[in-house]
Amino acid sequence: MSTDYQYVPEPALVKGDHSFGSITDLIAKTPLSPTPKLWYLAFGLANILLITLLGAIGYLIWDGIGIWGLNNPAGWGWAIINFVWWVGIGHAGTLISAILFLFRQGWRTAINRFAEAMTIFAVMCAGIFPAIHVGRIWVIYWVFPIPNQMAAWPNFSSPLLWDVFAVSTYFTVSLLFWYVGLIPDFATLRDKTKSKVAKITYGIASLGWTGSFRNWWNYEKAYMILAGLATPLVLSVHTIVSFDFAVSVIPGWHSTIFPPYFVAGAIYSGFAMVLTLMLIARKIYGLEDIMNIDIMEKMNLVMMITGNLVAFAYLMEGFIAWYSGYIYEQGIFWLYVVGPYAWGFWILMFCNVVTPQFLWFKKIRRNVAITFVISIIVNIGMWFERFMISVASLSTDFMPSAWDYYSPTFWDIITYIGTFGLFFTFFLLFLRFMPMVAIAEVKGVMPQADPHNYDEETNEFDIEKTKPVVVQQEQTV
Amino acid sequence: MSEEVKNPNYWKSLGELARNEEYEKYVEREFPENATELNDKVSRRSFLRVMGASIALAGFAACRRPVQKIVPFSKQPEDLVEGVPQYYASASPFQDAVTGIVVENNSGRPTKIEGNEMHPASSGNTSIFGQAEILNMYDPDRSRYVRKNGERSSVSAFAKFCSDHFSNTDQNIAFVSEANSSPTYNRLKDQAMDQFSNAQWITYEPFGEDNALEGTNIAFGERLRTYNKYDEADVIVSFDDDFLNPAADKNSVENTKRFTDRRRVMSEDDDMSRFYAVESTFSITGSNADNRLRIKSGEIELFIYALAAELSNSVSGLSAFSGYSNKFSDHEWVSVLTEELLDNRGDSILTVGRDHKPELHATVAAINVALGNDGQAVDYLEVPHADNQNNREAFAGLAEDLNNDNVDTVVLVGANPAFTAPADLNFEEALSNARQVIHLSNYYDETSKLANWHLNRAHFLEAWGDGYSYSGTRSIIQPQIEPLYSGISEIEFLNIILNGEQTKGYDIVQDTWQDYYTNDFTSQWNKALHDGLAGEETFSVASVSISSAFNSQASDFISNADPSEGMELVIRPDSTVFDGRFANNGWLQEQPKPMTKITWDNVALMSKKTADELGVKEAGLGKAEVEVISITVDGTTLEIPAWVQPGHADDSITITVGYGREGVGRVANKTGVDTYPLRTTDNMHFASNVSVEKTGKTYEIASTQDHNTMEGRSLLRHATLQEYRENPNFSTYESAYDAEMPGVAYAEEHGEDDPLSIFNPIDEQEYPEDEPQWGMSIDLNTCTGCGVCTIACTAENNIPVVGKREVSRGREMHWIRNDRYFDGDVNDPKALHQPVPCMHCELAPCEQVCPVAATTHSDDGMNQMTYNRCIGTRYCANNCPYKVRRFNFFNYTKEFLTGGDDPEIVQMAMNPEVTVRFRGVMEKCTYCVQRVNRAKINRSIDTNGETKKPKDGAVETACQQACPADAIYFGDLTDPESEVVKTKKNNRNYLLLEELNTRPRTSYLAKVRNPNPKLA
Repeated sequence: MSTDYQYVPEPALVKGDHSFGSITDLIAKTPLSPTPKLWYLAFGLANILLITLLGAIGYLIWDGIGIWGLNNPAGWGWAIINFVWWVGIGHAGTLISAILFLFRQGWRTAINRFAEAMTIFAVMCAGIFPAIHVGRIWVIYWVFPIPNQMAAWPNFSSPLLWDVFAVSTYFTVSLLFWYVGLIPDFATLRDKTKSKVAKITYGIASLGWTGSFRNWWNYEKAYMILAGLATPLVLSVHTIVSFDFAVSVIPGWHSTIFPPYFVAGAIYSGFAMVLTLMLIARKIYGLEDIMNIDIMEKMNLVMMITGNLVAFAYLMEGFIAWYSGYIYEQGIFWLYVVGPYAWGFWILMFCNVVTPQFLWFKKIRRNVAITFVISIIVNIGMWFERFMISVASLSTDFMPSAWDYYSPTFWDIITYIGTFGLFFTFFLLFLRFMPMVAIAEVKGVMPQADPHNYDEETNEFDIEKTKPVVVQQEQTV
Repeated sequence: MSEEVKNPNYWKSLGELARNEEYEKYVEREFPENATELNDKVSRRSFLRVMGASIALAGFAACRRPVQKIVPFSKQPEDLVEGVPQYYASASPFQDAVTGIVVENNSGRPTKIEGNEMHPASSGNTSIFGQAEILNMYDPDRSRYVRKNGERSSVSAFAKFCSDHFSNTDQNIAFVSEANSSPTYNRLKDQAMDQFSNAQWITYEPFGEDNALEGTNIAFGERLRTYNKYDEADVIVSFDDDFLNPAADKNSVENTKRFTDRRRVMSEDDDMSRFYAVESTFSITGSNADNRLRIKSGEIELFIYALAAELSNSVSGLSAFSGYSNKFSDHEWVSVLTEELLDNRGDSILTVGRDHKPELHATVAAINVALGNDGQAVDYLEVPHADNQNNREAFAGLAEDLNNDNVDTVVLVGANPAFTAPADLNFEEALSNARQVIHLSNYYDETSKLANWHLNRAHFLEAWGDGYSYSGTRSIIQPQIEPLYSGISEIEFLNIILNGEQTKGYDIVQDTWQDYYTNDFTSQWNKALHDGLAGEETFSVASVSISSAFNSQASDFISNADPSEGMELVIRPDSTVFDGRFANNGWLQEQPKPMTKITWDNVALMSKKTADELGVKEAGLGKAEVEVISITVDGTTLEIPAWVQPGHADDSITITVGYGREGVGRVANKTGVDTYPLRTTDNMHFASNVSVEKTGKTYEIASTQDHNTMEGRSLLRHATLQEYRENPNFSTYESAYDAEMPGVAYAEEHGEDDPLSIFNPIDEQEYPEDEPQWGMSIDLNTCTGCGVCTIACTAENNIPVVGKREVSRGREMHWIRNDRYFDGDVNDPKALHQPVPCMHCELAPCEQVCPVAATTHSDDGMNQMTYNRCIGTRYCANNCPYKVRRFNFFNYTKEFLTGGDDPEIVQMAMNPEVTVRFRGVMEKCTYCVQRVNRAKINRSIDTNGETKKPKDGAVETACQQACPADAIYFGDLTDPESEVVKTKKNNRNYLLLEELNTRPRTSYLAKVRNPNPKLA
């Protein structure tokens, strides 16, 4: 049987017959045109939820942690679940922008800006919880190593302290990375806007960007360095979040599989959240050409892989419980399966183990509606994963006499819902005033960015010239 | 009262003080104004008033010292150092028995009750009621003033009324009083009976000793008190007798002490008694049994007769039973018990529950005598104050008299019959027929509201009194503080009625004691005050023989024996609120009931099988809502939540009384269900053929333990005595799991002493040589599960009451909890008790995870909690494998201490040596660090700084001190001679969750049972 090897050209990352100019127009259109009514509606709803969140936090600080459903065995409940959940969601952005950047994955450009913004807002939502869940928020600064007259110093062996550093570093680097990427695009908006206020604002934000060679040189280097810095953080932040659990003695927590398992789960949920948001945004803002089905399929593949990694971790937990012969680990696994929170476990199993299996099918991977549904199911599943870890493990640990059942209160639920208000308030502001796709970067992956294909004489694109080029030319925008 | 220095009054006694006008005014005033003064910390005036009063009253030298009210101590009173608590002996009365106590006073405030080591009924320990009395006294809901027809009046007005009203000595007077052993009280009682020609006196207790006294009357022809010395018996058989429970036996502390003394097994060569329990409800006493048989309470009668019949073949005196047989005659228990009792003649005790019929008490007494146990382990005591009448019949007679309009005046000394009287007597209505009703009580309660005169009663910590212990040791009750609400004691009250004038309790008591001490009164009185008891003297032991009348009566009651058909209802006093008198005590409401771990409610207990038949589901983890059933007895229906009690007899339901009160106090109101309506003169304690139905309603129960089995985890290790002898090391990890402890092999291979830990602070943390190293061990063999450790800890460590809602959310604050596990068949399990305080791990998982280092290790090896540093992440509690940390989810202390209109009052009950914790911080057992540090400082002073290691026994934790079973040992581990080191070297010693390598400083001595192999 003769084998015919053929060079398969990768499909174009940006669909449609776009020129650089049309891409700029497509993306810059949103921040530059008047605010649509629908946006006000969405922003109003988000604001109501945000105010609800602030109210819930205010009442929490006023009255005490007791307004939540926590009890004696379960010292951590929805607050910590939400924290881990939001941090996990916050994983996708930096993974997409940093790691995929270093791996030269051009398709990332369609979603990186969007995902990074999501990351930052998700980490903001996450960061609220460890702060407000403490009993005495007014002295929370004691977790920072601030020299003080009490000669009191934080306890560096506490994973909670590691968390403080991990999350704050992650947030800072993500923010910087995002902002650096935004500089050329802010300059584009500055140049295109007719509004004086916008011009000044975008002008300040673009830090005097001129588009010079030197600007580009510094930009590319800075972006590369930040990508390098952000890459280990992608792995470290959720590793350290997992240490909150793994370093303890509690069965169901005390497990060496937690760091990789948490990172995989975080990527899984992060991609799901990006998909959820992207599939809505591409429709509303008409970005189907950039955030196209090919991109969606690639993201589905990432979800499939990480989803199966997570499923494997669940299996391993069961296996290790049996294999270790450790009765408490066996006890907690059995309680997951048939115990008081078994309903949560089976929701989790359906969402996180069964659902990703659909993604083996290309048709499903390329189906927008099903992908949208799956992305939501995955995020529900990932929430329940954290629920099982936090609550079920704590409620039913070593001493059966101390077991108690945890159930959330109105305030737990409203605080969680309120964080969506915070998230969407910022996210809608982002959609409204910032370029939601990295204009400069997406142009870099368009065929036009490979100028050797370009017949300068006829001023036409010639597909016949798709051959390796000898001379690399500088990109222009 | 004004703060000015004006006509300084000098007074010797409160009697003198009472007669001055200023005092009258003070009496008239309500407390809050005083409270404001008390609140002013720098007010010398208010401080001295409280101080002066307590010294004048409490110290034996103080009675003579004139206390100037205005000027501060120009001469420091002897022994008074500010900040150092003072201790005064007194006695705590409960029904007609007092227990010797020592009261800790801080700046004139009694703050903690401890047992009096010299007193035989206490031996230094207390019951949960004894501990809770402090809070009873500082109860802001107690009645604060005299009421005449509901309107505010005064004691002097009442005295005026009395001198007029009681001048007619021919009127029909009925005195209804609580049981009281006080010689002074009984002297006044005798005086009353002399003074009023048409008076009757009824001692009314809803749960009293009447049947037992009546029983000995049948058996011996004399009303004698049964005094079981459980330490002197090799075999104990209890028929529904919950003698370890303070709610079921007024001598429970001594009983526990004696019972556990005989069961303390410190090596495999030691012997222990064998205890058989035959009962319906699974009681704490039953949970300590070696062999337990569950039968309906109604069948106990048949069982006892069957046993008597079997015994009658071998011993004389039980001829009435010979040849008798019933369904239990072939029961294996009857033959086994017969054999066992005959083998241990003279060394056994048979005892029957207080509430059972006199006939059963008579039979059991006869068996005891027939076996020669009397004069050995069982004594029959002549109690001088025991009435020569059947008080239950007399009380029913009073209701009839009232209905027939034959009573002019009813004087109620304490007691709350409007709430507790048998429902069929309709006492509330009957009482309205009396022309005058006078009621002395702690609360403005159900009965007070029907009375013409309500007098607010002084608590025993506020007033002079006296009393006899169960076995007859006489004590003086000395007040620790001036009455908070100017109440009067029962003896002052009776004195007003009899003499028409106010006399101070101090004088009245002294009048009585003049008879005891005819010469050298002062020094003898002072000695009795100081010691808390007047010598060794006890009630005289009667020499008894089975009366000839007994055997003829016996044949009657055998033939009348009720076969107990259908569903049975057992009505018992509640193990925490008793007959309702403690219903307003937050500590007791929050104290988990020993067997069910329920707080704040009463329920209907039933076996799993009965519950299944009724279709009632079991509560459990995540199922706090339980089903409500309706119980109908003789046409009266009551709805009450149902609770599955493994080990309960089938076809039997137990309910407890004392709940569902109205208009009494903030704590008591609307808590639980009032079950008294089901109680009638015929069915005082038991009813048969009751109908029970599911209502379909549900009700939330706050239980502190939702899961009742150990899930195969070897947390509470136990063995039979035989197993212990075969394998003295049965409590090790290797024996418990039949596997080597993980990590040990690795450690040995690598030449390390202990298993590895990734965090190994022990290597870095060298304990200083000059520091003691504290450790605790808890002997599960003697622990009865009574829970007094919990309430003693609550009292000592200012632990707030959080309420039912918070408990039901799993937020109880108790620093030491009492775990109760069921083991074995769900219908007939064994119950095991395990107190769990902080383990003070050397490698504490909590310390490792706190981000701000708020919980750290001290030089003396304690795991400490720094409240001020805590930010409240709760990570420490999560990481505690023993789950002993407690979080202040709300500002519980503030709510507890500043709630209501008189916040200062409950605050006075707080221990000034222990910080109260605010919202958002973690707390837990401190090994009573305040006591430890005081002992260290004292030791350092005593030795001129040479050492700060207190002598063994110099520090007792609150739980240890209160424990009547002496199950808790605490001391310095660096002292090889200390008791705690000895117990830790015992082969039964084991560490809880040892495999986690937390290296706890608290360890346990495994439990040993001594079951009869024939009944296995």
